[in-house]
Amino acid sequence: MWTTEQRQRLYIDHETLQREGFTQFSVYHNQVNDIYYASGYTTSSSGRRYGLYITIPSGYPYQRPLMYVTDPLPLLMRDGSKLASLGVSHYMHTLEPSTNGMVQICHWRDARWHSGILLFKVFLKGLLWIEAYEQHLANGRNLSEFVGTMAETA
Amino acid sequence: MSTNDPQQQMIRDAMQAIAQRKPGKTKLVYDKTKRTIVAVAEGSQPPRALNITADDADMFAVATLSSVWLRQNWPRLLAEGGVLCRFSSWDGGDAFTQYELGPLPSTTVVEGVISLAGPHSSYDGAVFHIDLNPIGKAVANPSEFVAPDGSAYRASGTMEHSANSIDAVFADVQPELSARRPGILETTILADKSVLFVGLGTGGAHAALELAKCGVGRFALVDRDRLSVGNVVRHPGGISQVGRLKVNVVRDLILDKNPEAKVTAHSLDLSFTSKEELRKLVAESSVVVCGTDNRQSKLLVNQLCVEANVPAIYGGAFRRAYGGQVLRVRPKVSPCHQCFVAAMPDEASNVEISSASDAADIAYSDQPVAVEPGLSLDVLPIANMVAKLALSELLQDKPSTLRVLERDYDAPWYLWLNRPEPGTPYSDWPPLSESSDEMTINRWYGIYFERDAQCPTCGEFLSGLAANYGLDLNNLDTIPGAPLVAPMAAPAEE
Repeated sequence: MWTTEQRQRLYIDHETLQREGFTQFSVYHNQVNDIYYASGYTTSSSGRRYGLYITIPSGYPYQRPLMYVTDPLPLLMRDGSKLASLGVSHYMHTLEPSTNGMVQICHWRDARWHSGILLFKVFLKGLLWIEAYEQHLANGRNLSEFVGTMAETA
Repeated sequence: MSTNDPQQQMIRDAMQAIAQRKPGKTKLVYDKTKRTIVAVAEGSQPPRALNITADDADMFAVATLSSVWLRQNWPRLLAEGGVLCRFSSWDGGDAFTQYELGPLPSTTVVEGVISLAGPHSSYDGAVFHIDLNPIGKAVANPSEFVAPDGSAYRASGTMEHSANSIDAVFADVQPELSARRPGILETTILADKSVLFVGLGTGGAHAALELAKCGVGRFALVDRDRLSVGNVVRHPGGISQVGRLKVNVVRDLILDKNPEAKVTAHSLDLSFTSKEELRKLVAESSVVVCGTDNRQSKLLVNQLCVEANVPAIYGGAFRRAYGGQVLRVRPKVSPCHQCFVAAMPDEASNVEISSASDAADIAYSDQPVAVEPGLSLDVLPIANMVAKLALSELLQDKPSTLRVLERDYDAPWYLWLNRPEPGTPYSDWPPLSESSDEMTINRWYGIYFERDAQCPTCGEFLSGLAANYGLDLNNLDTIPGAPLVAPMAAPAEE
């Protein structure tokens, strides 16, 4: 299923995660059903623990990978409602949640994704999102007030 | 008034001269005093009258026969003496076009008989009868037909019920179409070329039709959308085609321009799910024209074209079509679309939101995106440029006077502005009348930028990274296997 080029790319992704200081994350290969994913637990600056999980689509790296918050589950907003219930939200920087209720973080949308973006940059955006989420928990303001829609760079 | 009335004889003579398109010594006029047609001898004082000319006498219907069909059915015609054929009837019976001539017939279809001159039996339901009369020698003329055995014929026709005459002409489509291109594009120079069109919106459809008119012989069309009423103000397809798949609409429009073209229509979703089908179509193409408005499909096409070493043209309008751009990619020679995205991300993201599905792709539930299509006349300059660049690629290995364009079309990226849109970097461009050496609207600019040597699609991305990090790309076993006991729940797949 996976081409040599894709496997080499995932190898590069795994190694750059380790070498760019994202050692809490790793690329994994599930040999039973031959799928790749990247995941790991991270701790926010306030000390809370979060699980991030990136699914690797069959068209990767030309196809955008999806990043979910797996833990805590459900992820709640300041008012106690489920963040996943917002769906695709500009104000909270989220995309379509998983069917088991995990919030999907909007890192790059399809209209902005390209194959030159390595997974460590995706996780970096996940870490920024978590910090902004905690600001939302602290004062109730939308994530978009803390995380602007980033101008695209090469 | 007797039939020997000199006035009646003059009218008959004048009618005959008009029918033969010859000037006569007598002319017909409508005498407004008498309220009838009278004949006036040359040199005499005309009454208060309206002249009746040969053009006014264009009173007979015209039947157009397909020379290709006649040649194919000639043995049958010889054997049976006459054949009942279908004709599109246009404009209340003013014109009849043989059904087989093109793919877009009239809603009214009638039957007519084509027969060799001589006694023939009657055919039930035939509206008119065309006789093929042998002549000595044919000259290149639409009123004459040369049969496969070399014999030449001229046609004459009669309406069955009124006994009125009907003009009959022959259409030998391909030679007549090619005859309009010599000196620029030799007759069949592009017949062996194949163009894949991915995306058949206004721009893609228009470019496809332009290449059909140039004589491109093979087309593969890919799009999943259907023509809607809202499309019609921009798309070549019309109201009568609403609801049809755009690939089928454009296929028929191409065949209506170039009946000998081979066109395949593929209703495919332009996504990774159809990647293998697209890969096959790309590999069979001389050039790919990509007219989609979203980056994912463009980058997918780009990947497949670079992989297959097939040149590609990417065209698109900016927001509300205030301008547009065209990127030509010669794999491994000029920058690819991924290089373009990396070098000029803002330009690469400046696309027209021309449909609800385009808007939905980038909208959020709490921040909708408006559909903002531009005018057709603002999209067509971009589509024309796409067609010209595609044509230039198709002629790379052909002798043609158009090869001189290679000198002018040497840049990878082309920019066009329809108007100095407020809020854009082009808003303060000078008026056309005040600029001699500054950039203005309504001009094409060819712009250079470099290939990215480290491009993930056309460059040495992986090997470059491996070198930077001291990695061995043959050592793929360092990716850990999934833990037997998953440390976290995974997102459920749909």
